Amino acid sequence: MAIINYANKEVQFKVVYYGPALCGKTTNLAYIHAQVNEANKGELVSLATAADRTLFFDFLPLNAVVIKGFKTKFQLYTVPGQVMYNATRQLVLRSVDGIVFVADSQWEKMEENIESFANLQENIARQGQNIDTIPYVLQYNKRDMPNPAPVHYLEFILNNRRVRVPSFAGVATSGQGVFQTLNAISRLLLQKFAWENEQAVAKHQRSGPSAFTSLSGIAAATIRR
Amino acid sequence: MHTTPIMTIHAVNQLIEALEDYLDKSEANFSMVLDRGGSILCQHGTIPKNSDPVIVAALAAGSFAATKELAHRIGENEFSALHQEGKTSQIFTCGVDDDTVLVTVFGPQTTLGLVRFYSARTVKQILEVIQESRSSDEVVPLFTQQDVNAAKAIFSR
Repeated sequence: MAIINYANKEVQFKVVYYGPALCGKTTNLAYIHAQVNEANKGELVSLATAADRTLFFDFLPLNAVVIKGFKTKFQLYTVPGQVMYNATRQLVLRSVDGIVFVADSQWEKMEENIESFANLQENIARQGQNIDTIPYVLQYNKRDMPNPAPVHYLEFILNNRRVRVPSFAGVATSGQGVFQTLNAISRLLLQKFAWENEQAVAKHQRSGPSAFTSLSGIAAATIRR
Repeated sequence: MHTTPIMTIHAVNQLIEALEDYLDKSEANFSMVLDRGGSILCQHGTIPKNSDPVIVAALAAGSFAATKELAHRIGENEFSALHQEGKTSQIFTCGVDDDTVLVTVFGPQTTLGLVRFYSARTVKQILEVIQESRSSDEVVPLFTQQDVNAAKAIFSR
């Protein structure tokens, strides 16, 4: 769940990049880190093996747009894609707000894509949540490989739930589709958060003025330093 | 009721007070209260130079979560605390509740025993604040969907 800090006027979201091994999750974060300006990013931390395979997670904190005086922040994580690290993937998914599922477009990776998505659903369910209630987007990466499956086929096998989610073709090594994907999941999260806040405010207004707190009332208290 | 505490100014002030007292008595350098996902709810003290508390928080939360899972795998209910010792600095991490963690960074001027002793009381104080925040029905209008739509770029490049 998004963290709201009225004291610092910040709203923080956690986004996890998920997908099979070697699909491009870490490459996505590396490209984002290289492109975002210095003032709006932290260090990209990678807990990886000597062979550059993600062992625990990659982590990249980003400062995003300020809306009505509230700074929005996104913490991007990746999970290790190798099958044996499922316990670790469950830990990284704790308190997730949004997911980017990165699929490998190569024909020979289809089974892994499907297994990884099923694994995501299982791990989300373990936390008592449902994939259909968590904002997520799909990225069909590695479109530049010699043998990519057509996008409509990837849509057929991965974007076939009752509600179809935004999907993007990508070549993470060159950056194609990377920011489109990130912007999409970020907007989804901000929209969902704004909608929930509007609903809560409307409900409290119906309850009467005593149940409603104004921002000025909270701001009147000063923060101890 | 919110499952994640909403950090009002009052809640943050209470936490800062608790952490200030804790650092004063235990002589530790820096402490922070995190949620299980690695986000900082409150921090106080002097962190080592060139350290980014956001990254320390993410790593500490991940480390503690892995420790908890490890405990389950060997038949323990949980490891309630984790201690990491370096040449000049140490980190003590303990659970406040299932969703909250207290991380303390300290140096040679104090001892693990003193930090552990005072952390027990501080954990109770933090838990009270967190539970009150979670049970709060306080709602403040932040921004609307229209405001989000009006934002041109989410990230600056």
